[in-house]
Amino acid sequence: MKVNSLKNVAGAHNDGIWAAAWAPATDSRPGLLITGSVDETVKLWRGDELECERTNTGHSLGVVAVAAHPGGRIAASTSLDSFVRVFDIDSNATVTTLEAPPSEAWLMQFDPKGELLAVAGGGSCSVKIWNTTSWKLEQSLTVPKAENGADGKAADKVGLGKFVLGVAWSMDGKNLACSTMDGTVAIFDVGKGKLIHTLEGHNMPVRSLVFSPADNHVLFTACDDKHIHMYDARSRMLVSAFSGHASWVLSVDASPEGAAIATGSSDKTVRLWDLKMRASIQTVTDHTDQVWAVAFRPSGEGSSSGRLASVSDDKSISLYEYT
Amino acid sequence: MACVYIPVQNTSEEVRVALERLPADATDILDILKAEQAPLNLWLTFAREYFKQGKVAEFLQILEEGSSPEIDEYYSDVKYDRIAILNALGAYYTNLGRVESKQREKDEHFIRATQYYNKASRIDQDEASTWVGKGQLLVAKGELEQAQEVFKIVLDGQRDNVAALLGQACVQFNSGRFQEALKLYKKALQIHPQCPASVRLGLGLCRARLGEFKKAQQAFDRVLQLDGNNVEALVGSGIIDLNSGDENRVQAGLEKMLAAFEIYPYCSMALNHLACHYFFLDQHPMVEQLTEAALAATDHVLIKAQSYYNLARSYHTREDYDMAARYYRASTAELKNPKDFILPYYGLGQVHLKLGDWKAALASFEKVLELYPDNCETLKAVGHILGHQGRKEKALEHFKKATRMNPKDVDAWLEMGELLVSSDFAAALDSFQTAHTLLKRSQEVVPLALLNNIGVLHFEKDELESARKAYKQALGEGIWTEYSEGHRSVDVSPIEDNELFRSLEDKGISLDIPAEKVTVLFNLARLHEQLHETGKASVLYRLILYKHPEYEDAYLRLGALSLARSNISTSLELVNKALEANDKNVEALSVRGNLEVKTDDWLKAKDTFKSILEIKDGNDNYAMLALGNWNYYAATRGEKKVPKLEATHLEKARDLYQKVLGLQINNMYAANGIGVVLAEKGLFDISKDIFTQVQEAATGNLAVDMPDVWINLGHIYLAQGQFGLAVKMYLNCLKRFYHNTDHQILLYLARCHYEAEQWQECKRVLLRAIHLAPSNYMLRFDVAIAMQKFSTATLQKAKRTADEVRQAVFELKNALRLFGQLAGVKDKQVHGFDEKKLDMHGEYCKHLLDAAKVHLEAAEREEQQLRQKQEVARQLAMAQEARRKAEEERRLQLEKRRRDAEQRIALQLEDKLQQTKALWNKKTHAVITDDGEDGDKPEKKPKKRRKKEKKSTAPDSDGEEGRYSPRHSDDDVEDVPTRSQGKKKRRRRAVSDSEEEGEMTPAGSPVQYVDQPSDPEDD
Repeated sequence: MKVNSLKNVAGAHNDGIWAAAWAPATDSRPGLLITGSVDETVKLWRGDELECERTNTGHSLGVVAVAAHPGGRIAASTSLDSFVRVFDIDSNATVTTLEAPPSEAWLMQFDPKGELLAVAGGGSCSVKIWNTTSWKLEQSLTVPKAENGADGKAADKVGLGKFVLGVAWSMDGKNLACSTMDGTVAIFDVGKGKLIHTLEGHNMPVRSLVFSPADNHVLFTACDDKHIHMYDARSRMLVSAFSGHASWVLSVDASPEGAAIATGSSDKTVRLWDLKMRASIQTVTDHTDQVWAVAFRPSGEGSSSGRLASVSDDKSISLYEYT
Repeated sequence: MACVYIPVQNTSEEVRVALERLPADATDILDILKAEQAPLNLWLTFAREYFKQGKVAEFLQILEEGSSPEIDEYYSDVKYDRIAILNALGAYYTNLGRVESKQREKDEHFIRATQYYNKASRIDQDEASTWVGKGQLLVAKGELEQAQEVFKIVLDGQRDNVAALLGQACVQFNSGRFQEALKLYKKALQIHPQCPASVRLGLGLCRARLGEFKKAQQAFDRVLQLDGNNVEALVGSGIIDLNSGDENRVQAGLEKMLAAFEIYPYCSMALNHLACHYFFLDQHPMVEQLTEAALAATDHVLIKAQSYYNLARSYHTREDYDMAARYYRASTAELKNPKDFILPYYGLGQVHLKLGDWKAALASFEKVLELYPDNCETLKAVGHILGHQGRKEKALEHFKKATRMNPKDVDAWLEMGELLVSSDFAAALDSFQTAHTLLKRSQEVVPLALLNNIGVLHFEKDELESARKAYKQALGEGIWTEYSEGHRSVDVSPIEDNELFRSLEDKGISLDIPAEKVTVLFNLARLHEQLHETGKASVLYRLILYKHPEYEDAYLRLGALSLARSNISTSLELVNKALEANDKNVEALSVRGNLEVKTDDWLKAKDTFKSILEIKDGNDNYAMLALGNWNYYAATRGEKKVPKLEATHLEKARDLYQKVLGLQINNMYAANGIGVVLAEKGLFDISKDIFTQVQEAATGNLAVDMPDVWINLGHIYLAQGQFGLAVKMYLNCLKRFYHNTDHQILLYLARCHYEAEQWQECKRVLLRAIHLAPSNYMLRFDVAIAMQKFSTATLQKAKRTADEVRQAVFELKNALRLFGQLAGVKDKQVHGFDEKKLDMHGEYCKHLLDAAKVHLEAAEREEQQLRQKQEVARQLAMAQEARRKAEEERRLQLEKRRRDAEQRIALQLEDKLQQTKALWNKKTHAVITDDGEDGDKPEKKPKKRRKKEKKSTAPDSDGEEGRYSPRHSDDDVEDVPTRSQGKKKRRRRAVSDSEEEGEMTPAGSPVQYVDQPSDPEDD
């Protein structure tokens, strides 16, 4: 289990890169890497050489998140202006533009079946769930201020409740996890539209979280407290805490077979963690600034080995072979 | 039975006197001697016999009678015997003077001796024995030069005078000329082989002094053969045996000493050596007895010094330091010169050290060092004392010399390392490592503390892997190894895990941590912390606490770990646990104070810091510093500033900082604090100097993390309008200390760009800040303002392109959208803006948008015109080009036509030629084909040339463009300063025109100590 650097594209964007996601392959083309930058553009990259396929404009203010539909044909990008732009990957035709004022739009994820798009709503303290056929707002799941106010945390002074930063779907599409500025992670039953419970352990912003592809209940969270937590989302148990990063952990992604996770951090490194050993087994130092996103390419592309991409404020993209 | 016969006068009878039975009263003998007018030599015989029997008074009585004036008269012709009596008396008083310790009596004895010898000389000036006596007197008086002269006189007269030879030998011996002394002794022996054994003793002593121990011992042994009871020979031979280092011989030597003691219990030398022997056997009562006997038996200063030394040594080993000191001092008191016997000085130094009298110890050791400047042990002792007295440089010099003298002295390396720890990590580490290598090479056990120190120094030098190795070696195997190396998974719960450990113990796993290893384990945990392996660190701290709940530092570290994860309540809980273990733990109190500040519990924090000062009698730098900071916060915190209160708080803060500096001149934090207070008062230049100095100091110190000073310097530069420098400070600070994650500093940075009217940079920095702190809506407000500013500035430029105007409009729309979105946010006041403000900005943007339409139209019109102009020009150019091309075409056509014509003519000519040829009836066709090819060529050549022309023009034009564009951009660059200056002036006007002048003026102090938000728009 290791990653080998394949390629580093310096100056991939004109400014720091904040978001990355893989668009699955379609019949007509292999998978593409989508990146979003504070330079207000979204770019698509092809192959191991990371040739720039296209540059999408249209966002104002920095692009904070990109997400690809599991079907591989459409993708969404969002920026600090709070618009979600859904576009056709191959033609760049705008499918729709979503907004749910006063909600902002932070991280997004399509559900595994591709029927819904969950968007973290920031200060609205909610997750907005959009129907991907009608593009209508289907649900708004709110993270309450505090469960019976007895979670022992310092009261949120700004009175905003839980500022929602990130979202993650479980593999079976039943549960949605969302992370907040104060470290609370909320688990929802999407079918019932209800909050199941919250997970404790972090007290700082959790900027990224992901469910294990191998287990519907194993959830990984990346936190500003320099730790990655591994939870059992069903029992609320904190299974393990991974330490080793020297600064905020900004991003986490699970490998397609579920044996490893990769994390990106403000300490400029990408780390690979072995879930069996529960230890960091590799630290990659290709980047020279904060690593804002890491993303494993989904499996089933007919290729023998996996790919991992990382993007950074240093304006570069790194591609690794994951074996 | 030996008898002396006194002839009875005028008869042949004799009175027989048995020497063993001399009459108790010498008068009886004298009466007989006088009555019988006995020969004078008999007088001397009796006197000598009395002397031998220890009856000195009788001896003197006879001799004094024998040297009285009547005798002189009566025996006036008996020269020799009269001289002999006088010389005997001279010798007696010489000896008295020699052993007398009091100077006055000593002098009196010598005077009397001199008188007798002078009298003897008057009887016969040439009598050799008198001269010999005089020589001996001079030797006793220590006047060796004169003695030598005197003996020489004798020897000049009688070359074989044994007494003079011996005297001269004695002079040479005492002058340290042992070789000469040896020669003289040898000569005396040759002349007088039957001489007393003691002459051979002289021989032995000379040999011994010359280092010829074997021959010396032979001499001593010969003496003993002749006189088995010769104590000096026994002692001499014994000493040689004792010093031989051979075990058997040491034993033999000891036996000789004992024999000497048996024969003559008052031989101090033997006593001292015996005492010394028993000292090493730890039989201290024996030592005491023997030395006391030795002291009683001798007046010889060196031997006495030795005796006292033995006694002192004995007390020293028994740790009776007061007594030891007393006798060492007694020993040194005997000595005229430390050179004669240095050991008691060393002993005294050691005892003073034990007694804690550093100064006296230093004095003693320095005496030793004066004589033996290279003595390693003494160098170490002096170094140690100097180190203790804080004279570090001097101490280090001594240790360095010690290690130079003996590079294998582990202790010296160790102590040098410890001295260096506080000043020079690298050098300290080198010392420790040398010690470590030496110990390993000699296969000795490496002390835990040394390994720990090596680890700590590696840690301080940021050589974490080496530190880990050292700790590992110190700790050995244990449960910690499994945790540290990740073989045992680390549980996550922060405090209550006694159950976990108990269950491990139930399984029979030993969790014992030996007391001496706790600190090392703690250090290992610190190391894991440094490596960001907080899980491992945490479990090790908890393990320590499970076994050693009194180890408060572990609680504090756990508390710090929790705090780093923003888990303040747990952190506070842990700190309180440490305080439960020890409520006077200043460090724990400091941490608690800080936590209270963090949770805005101001009054509690103040009390906590004050309680620290009470514990430490008002002398705790940290608490004072914290209180200084407290006052500073108090001065700048309030929403509404009360100038008077602010001033008093600032004054208090400054007093406290100054106090800390008074106690610790190099306290960077206090200096920084003073800088802040001064800056707060507007004294930017002074505070800048202070900050710069602190920054320099902090940069050079690995252990100090002081981002504040970077920020403060940035603030000063900002306040002084040196935006470039301010930006540099902020950026360096972000990168160096915060992994670029601190949005507050980004805000300062944004403010810098704002002040410098660099709107786009300002916007981009703010976007990054928003990304880092998404819930901070003030940042969004600021971004909107920056965009509004940008648009305003662009639209008010005298000259701008339509693109610029379009961008301005685009940004205006964005700003408007942001203001609109912010209007939807609840609790706006908490974020620092309100409805009114938002509306106002929104209105302004809309207004500007409207205005921009006109601008846009104008710009677009201009652009259109420009484009049209360009189009006309382009078309003109195209037309020209077309014309040129047509011309060319035409020319080519013409050319072609001409060529065709030529060809045709050629062909015709050829035909003609062919015909002619045919006519000429030549045989080959070859020429014809050749010619035919030749004919083709002209056609091709121009083509090729055209191609070439195209190729060559392309690079030319490229080159032109290439040259052009830089020139163009050069122009741009040159333009920039003037333009931006113009922009500035114009913008100011614009702002004053604009209604929200007040809005836009950034307020608030630029100088922030920590975490004080200073939004560009915070007013």
